[in-house]
Amino acid sequence: MKVAYYPGCVAQESGKELDLATRAVAPRLGIELQDFPSFSCCGSGFIDESNYALNTALNARNLAIAEKAGLATVMTVCSTCQGMLKLAKRNLAENKVLRARADKVLAQIGMEYRGTVEPKHMLQLIVEDLGGAEKLRPLVKRPLKGLKVGAFYGCHILRPHDTMNFEDPEDPHSFEDVIRALGAEPVDYRGRVMCCGFPIQFVRPKTGQKLAGKQILDAKRNGANAMATPCPLCHISLDTYQKEAGREVGDDLQMPVFHFPQLVGLALGMDPIALGVKRHLVDTSSALEKLGTVGVPA
Amino acid sequence: MVRVPIEVFRGGAGTPNRFDKFELELEEHTPILTALLKIRDEIDPTLAARYSCRQAICGSCAVRVNGKSRLACVTQVGPELAKRGKLRIEPMGNQPVLRDLVVDQKPFWDRYHRIEPYLIPDPAHPMPVGKENPMSPEQVAQFQETPRCIACASCFSACPALDSDPDFLGPMALAKLFRFVVDPRDGAFHQRLETVQNQSLWLCLRCNLCVEACPKDVRPAERIVDLKWMANQEIGKREPGSKHSIGFAENIQEGGLLNERRLAMDSLGLIGTLGQLPKAITMMRHGRSIKKHPPIQGREQLDVIYNAMSGREDLQHRPMSGEGGVRGKAPTPPPAAASPPPATATTTAAAKPRPSGETKEAHP
Repeated sequence: MKVAYYPGCVAQESGKELDLATRAVAPRLGIELQDFPSFSCCGSGFIDESNYALNTALNARNLAIAEKAGLATVMTVCSTCQGMLKLAKRNLAENKVLRARADKVLAQIGMEYRGTVEPKHMLQLIVEDLGGAEKLRPLVKRPLKGLKVGAFYGCHILRPHDTMNFEDPEDPHSFEDVIRALGAEPVDYRGRVMCCGFPIQFVRPKTGQKLAGKQILDAKRNGANAMATPCPLCHISLDTYQKEAGREVGDDLQMPVFHFPQLVGLALGMDPIALGVKRHLVDTSSALEKLGTVGVPA
Repeated sequence: MVRVPIEVFRGGAGTPNRFDKFELELEEHTPILTALLKIRDEIDPTLAARYSCRQAICGSCAVRVNGKSRLACVTQVGPELAKRGKLRIEPMGNQPVLRDLVVDQKPFWDRYHRIEPYLIPDPAHPMPVGKENPMSPEQVAQFQETPRCIACASCFSACPALDSDPDFLGPMALAKLFRFVVDPRDGAFHQRLETVQNQSLWLCLRCNLCVEACPKDVRPAERIVDLKWMANQEIGKREPGSKHSIGFAENIQEGGLLNERRLAMDSLGLIGTLGQLPKAITMMRHGRSIKKHPPIQGREQLDVIYNAMSGREDLQHRPMSGEGGVRGKAPTPPPAAASPPPATATTTAAAKPRPSGETKEAHP
């Protein structure tokens, strides 16, 4: 299945390991990625807070780029990119004023948005277009036995449900289905659908870090020895700022946190280093040792 | 009929916190409130729960059902049972438990009162006395969601920002504030946005849990986004939150993708950015540099889009919204009939509205 690959800003710079893992895993799942160096940022839930119409038009441009190439799907690997592209699609479909403004400005740059393209997160693509989580089972070369994984969804892949059209926005199961198919054990905990605190990292860092700490601690108390997330912004909160998060909740969390495609890649037998785990700030070797792979020093 | 295992939180009022387990024979469509009352009437008369109308109007009976904030009267046992195999009923979040499922709603109402939830007339445009103060259908449509709120506090219960930062006003109060900010009869537009800038508007996480919890589809998180961009348009860069969102938009125009270094400088300032240095060094040790992306292809197209979309916006992303600025056109006074409006509506009286707000007169 050929898709327009929308990596998002973070996966192209500070979270490059997500891009590495996606490019390694996608072909093995039958996903052909087409790159578009003209894609801009999705707005990340910040541009629309300063100019709503601008954000909608920027994403109309992004979607129009994929449409022009004749593709039906834009594949995201970030819950926030997914949320913003879907929000733009909803606005362009439902709001005539916004649509007219976007159409007008796109015409000025020789582009056209028709609404034929659908943004889908890689997780959603597996569930809806590649036959579901169970189709991963035959591909697994290194079952993730011994890993108890706390799935951490990232708000924007789920909510609002009538914009995202994915699954139960407060009690989802697609990620857990994938974790099971990869041979690991999913951990049930309330924090999996909560917020990682990223949006207020710049506004009130301690509150943001406290939120991250709470969710990691929730996963840990429910038996998780690793976490995984389909959102690189959540990964920044849960991994990059885990030390600070731990301070806020009074616990030395020490929780390895994988990106979604990294977890899939590990089960497909790929080299953890090639999947970029060394770039994490929290040492992942406690989890990797359980898989019988060579421990990777922090 | 199905067997329904129910765990109910018990505690408060000096009793130890625990979960009592019950099993009931119920129809799948039985409301959870009916199940709770059955427990109280037939098994344990000491169970405390709050309720009144039983039809999603009074907003009294909200509880948490398997972690989700819901009105007990309109939430059926079947779907949650099918999903989780049991029902776990807890009191609402972010409010102290008085007894069992009854919480003290003071934190919720305190925040509601802080936003001054009534019309504050504009001294320059006194309310017509003895006459209606009409709005166009387009103006009413701008706040069509918020009057549906029944103050059940489900959103308040579900909000993770409130749980972590007591400064936050919470979803309901901010949605209500939005309603007054866009009301063309209200004269405190600027002052309200000023106040909310300082009162933690920026602590909303946009997790949208409140949108899912709300039984009336008020969609508080989306109203908060409206408030944020109205505050940004009206007041500009000041609080860290507005610096961040306005700076982010400027950042993307530059190269098309996020320049993470510049973002830190714009949002945190020099001192704040220096504070991030140890983290940046740690990241570099893990091979994670924060370089500037090369500009995207067609970067100059963004200038065209930015120019076309610049300037003060109206509420054009909202369905059915009219034209004429953030709040629509000023209200048209009713056609002058026999006598013109009396000139006695003094500005001093008009500046002190009755707390009931929805008054046809500026003062009694």
